[in-house]
Amino acid sequence: MAQKKDVWQGTLALMVLKTLDTLGPLHGYGIARRIEQTSGDLLAVNYGTLYPALLKLEQEGYVSSEWGVSDNNRKAKYYKLTRAGKKQLEREARDWEQATAIVARFLAPGEEVS
Amino acid sequence: MRWLRAFALRVAGLFAKSQRDREFAAELDGHLQMHMEDNMRSGMTPENARRQALLKLGGVEPTKELYRERRGLPLLETVLQDLRYATRTLRKNPGFTLIAVLTLALGIGANTAIFSMVNALLLRPYNFPELDRLVRVWENRGIDEGADARFIAPGDAVDLQSGAPVFDALTIYKCGDFNLNTEGNVQPVRGCHVSAKFFDVLGVSPALGRAFSVPEEQPGADQVAVVSNAFWQRRFAGDAALLGKVIQMNGKKYTVVGIMPRGFDYPVPMELWVPLALSPAEKTDRAKLSLESLGRLKPGINVAQARSAMDSVSQRLQQEYPATNANRRAEMLQLRRELYLYTLPLFLLLQAAAVFVLLLACANLANLLFARIFGRQKEIAVRTALGAGRWRLARLFVTETLLLSCTAGVVAVAVSFWSVKVLRTSIAPSWTMWVPGWDGIQVDRTVLAFTLLLIAVVGLLFGFGTVLHSSQAQPYTTLKEAGRGPMLGSKGRLRSALVVAQVVFALVLLVCAGLTTQAFLRLADVYQGFQAANVLRTEVRLPEKSYPENSQIASFYDRMLRGSASLPGASAAALVTNSPASNVDNESTFFTINGRATAKASEAPSADLQISSSDYFSVLRIPLVAGRTYTLADNANAARVAVISRSMAARYWTNGDELGQQIKLGAFDSTEAWMTIVGVVEDVRQNWWNRTNRPTIYEPFFQAHKRSMVFLMRVASNPEGYASAVRDVVRGIDDQIALTGVGTLETEITDSIAIIRIMGVLMTLFGCVALALSSVGVYGVLAESVARRIPEIGVRLALGAEPRDVMKLVWGQAVKLTGIGLAIGVPIAFAVNRAMSSLIFGIVSINLLLLAGFTLLLLLVALAAAYIPARRAMRVDPMVALRYE
Repeated sequence: MAQKKDVWQGTLALMVLKTLDTLGPLHGYGIARRIEQTSGDLLAVNYGTLYPALLKLEQEGYVSSEWGVSDNNRKAKYYKLTRAGKKQLEREARDWEQATAIVARFLAPGEEVS
Repeated sequence: MRWLRAFALRVAGLFAKSQRDREFAAELDGHLQMHMEDNMRSGMTPENARRQALLKLGGVEPTKELYRERRGLPLLETVLQDLRYATRTLRKNPGFTLIAVLTLALGIGANTAIFSMVNALLLRPYNFPELDRLVRVWENRGIDEGADARFIAPGDAVDLQSGAPVFDALTIYKCGDFNLNTEGNVQPVRGCHVSAKFFDVLGVSPALGRAFSVPEEQPGADQVAVVSNAFWQRRFAGDAALLGKVIQMNGKKYTVVGIMPRGFDYPVPMELWVPLALSPAEKTDRAKLSLESLGRLKPGINVAQARSAMDSVSQRLQQEYPATNANRRAEMLQLRRELYLYTLPLFLLLQAAAVFVLLLACANLANLLFARIFGRQKEIAVRTALGAGRWRLARLFVTETLLLSCTAGVVAVAVSFWSVKVLRTSIAPSWTMWVPGWDGIQVDRTVLAFTLLLIAVVGLLFGFGTVLHSSQAQPYTTLKEAGRGPMLGSKGRLRSALVVAQVVFALVLLVCAGLTTQAFLRLADVYQGFQAANVLRTEVRLPEKSYPENSQIASFYDRMLRGSASLPGASAAALVTNSPASNVDNESTFFTINGRATAKASEAPSADLQISSSDYFSVLRIPLVAGRTYTLADNANAARVAVISRSMAARYWTNGDELGQQIKLGAFDSTEAWMTIVGVVEDVRQNWWNRTNRPTIYEPFFQAHKRSMVFLMRVASNPEGYASAVRDVVRGIDDQIALTGVGTLETEITDSIAIIRIMGVLMTLFGCVALALSSVGVYGVLAESVARRIPEIGVRLALGAEPRDVMKLVWGQAVKLTGIGLAIGVPIAFAVNRAMSSLIFGIVSINLLLLAGFTLLLLLVALAAAYIPARRAMRVDPMVALRYE
């Protein structure tokens, strides 16, 4: 369980950063919807876990927040990628790609080799 | 660095919590609204839309909780919470807190102060570089009993230095008083004749000018002087022109060539040093041990190596010069060890007492904390029932005990620094100037750190102890029992055991403290054989110029003695060469018994020589053992007589036929006149370092005149008051004679054993602290246990019991428990006593009266401890008492 959660938190942070990078400044609800749309059931149960993750990113200086007004005229807190966040996203994405590439090669069907 | 930024922000998150809460609530609210709108757009009813949004979120409160955990530092927050709670608990029980903190602070503070003092004095008494390489060297003739003086023969010193290549340098010196003549005014100053290497050996050079050169050791070239900083400041007001100036001493002119740095003091407060110029004959003399010696060992040579090197030289000398050196051996001791050689047992006793006080403090705290554990069963049960885990509870209680020990620690540090400061400053300089190293006393960090660590450990142990103990009990049972009197059942027995244990602890440690104090006082009672109270003392010096003849000296002193003895209130007056407690050894002399002459110097017996007038024995109340003391009739015209000390008689006339025997001063070939022994007097402990009684010969003053004498006078009371009257008497005889060192013999003694007196004061303080601590400990534990019975007392009173009967019951219980404690404690105390007397020098059996006193004290404390809470219980309304917690 714990292991899955750690992976989940790291992944969540990466997804948040990517979402903000793609869509620009966005509020928590928007980020949650976007992640749900792209990742399927990963966030399906619990939007709430997104907020501590956002807070952590903000404490680390990867995102900044600001109160703004939503499309339908509602006050909402908007999160924005900082320059440090952009760099972090690149770094993490690269690491992730490397890791997946290695794992993918490793898990690649044995038929090919034999 | 990212984590640091995050950490800083999380610390910031500990503040302005409500504002941050509101902000997040608003954000969540917005989130839910947006979600609901989306849901309604997809066709849900408002209620369902809201429900689904909440479900998706995972609930508002859990989300807030998660968010809060990330926002601040949850661990730190609970610690702060525990701290706040602990502070509140301790504040709610000010009595307990105060006793615990004071007990610990006192124990630790006193301990640190004592260990700091002892370490400073024993390890760093002098500021000389590489102090451990400095050694005192002296010779033992092998046939002198009880000789504490450490002297060396000049001829042997030369051989020791060349024959035992263990010394960088060896210096010889001889100290005494000089008569400094400034413009016709003669003043005594303390000084030493030292060899040229003296300052090299000590490793200190003059602050101004130079030290002595080897050519200045030649008689005739030796009229140069090095003076102390104090001498320079006091007598010449720090005038740099003193260098090169000529001062007159003992009728000779000395050129001042050097001034020593401030604080240079060896041996004891000295004012000046001049070269030791020995004639060629004196240089090779081996007959008499006449000089002191100090060496600096070569680097890397230890004392054992140096000793064996010296032994082989001694053996060679024994064979080469059997007439003088048979049986003679050179001995050696590190300077810093020599200094406190005789006071070392006292230091150890003092340290032992300090340790006992600390143990008493720890035992007290332990028992108090134990008692509190019982008192908190209900609280722990409630917390457990409400779901507190063991780990969480442990943290709570450990926080509390640690807070307690930290508070005590802070107070203890303050007490340590304060007490060391008080110790250093509150004792008169006239005492401390005799204590080398006193100015170097400071708080010893190692000792302080150790004691602080000790209380931290105590704190932790008891914090965990509380939880471990409570985790055995089922919360349900405890809660059920809590309403009833906790004296019932096994808990009551445990608490009784605690009271008994405290009494045992208190008694045993009190006895330990008492034993050390008792041993200390016995050892510190260093002057024996005479009575010093109500004696005036002063020094008289007759100048040679105006008193060249013995008859003139005799006439002056005769008139002075008669004049003073006839003063109203004066009972007797006398003269002596060296008064007790002068911090100077008696002159030592060879002597020869008529009919038992030995031809070799190495076999000549030696004794201390005191010249005194006839009333000396009555002034100091020295008891006569046999025969008679001399009288005024034993003068220059009468037959020569002598009085000897009891130990001399016992050593040389084993069958007790000493009266009527004849002795003469000097070896077999001396030309001194034979003296008949007319009496034997009790031994006198001359100086505090004398451990055994030296054989002593007393010679009547009017048969052996000397110009410089110590005058002693016994009066009815207030001896200082007679100083001016005695001055008048002297002025009436010769107005040119000034008295020096006027004071009481008691003050003289006090000053001479300054360090012992200081330690005596500390020891007494320790005794008081030990008494107070053990009383407080017994009181605390017993009072707590009686307070637990207050509901029971309430029930008894409500059911119609007489207050008197209840009091009898409570008292009976207290007396029973204390009695059991004492019954267990007394045999343990005796066993500890036996163990201690084999371990620590000077400990003897406990004074039974003292033991009885301690027992009685603890019993009284127990009665008071039972009485006060019980009285309080009886005054309150039974209904209140029943509800009392």
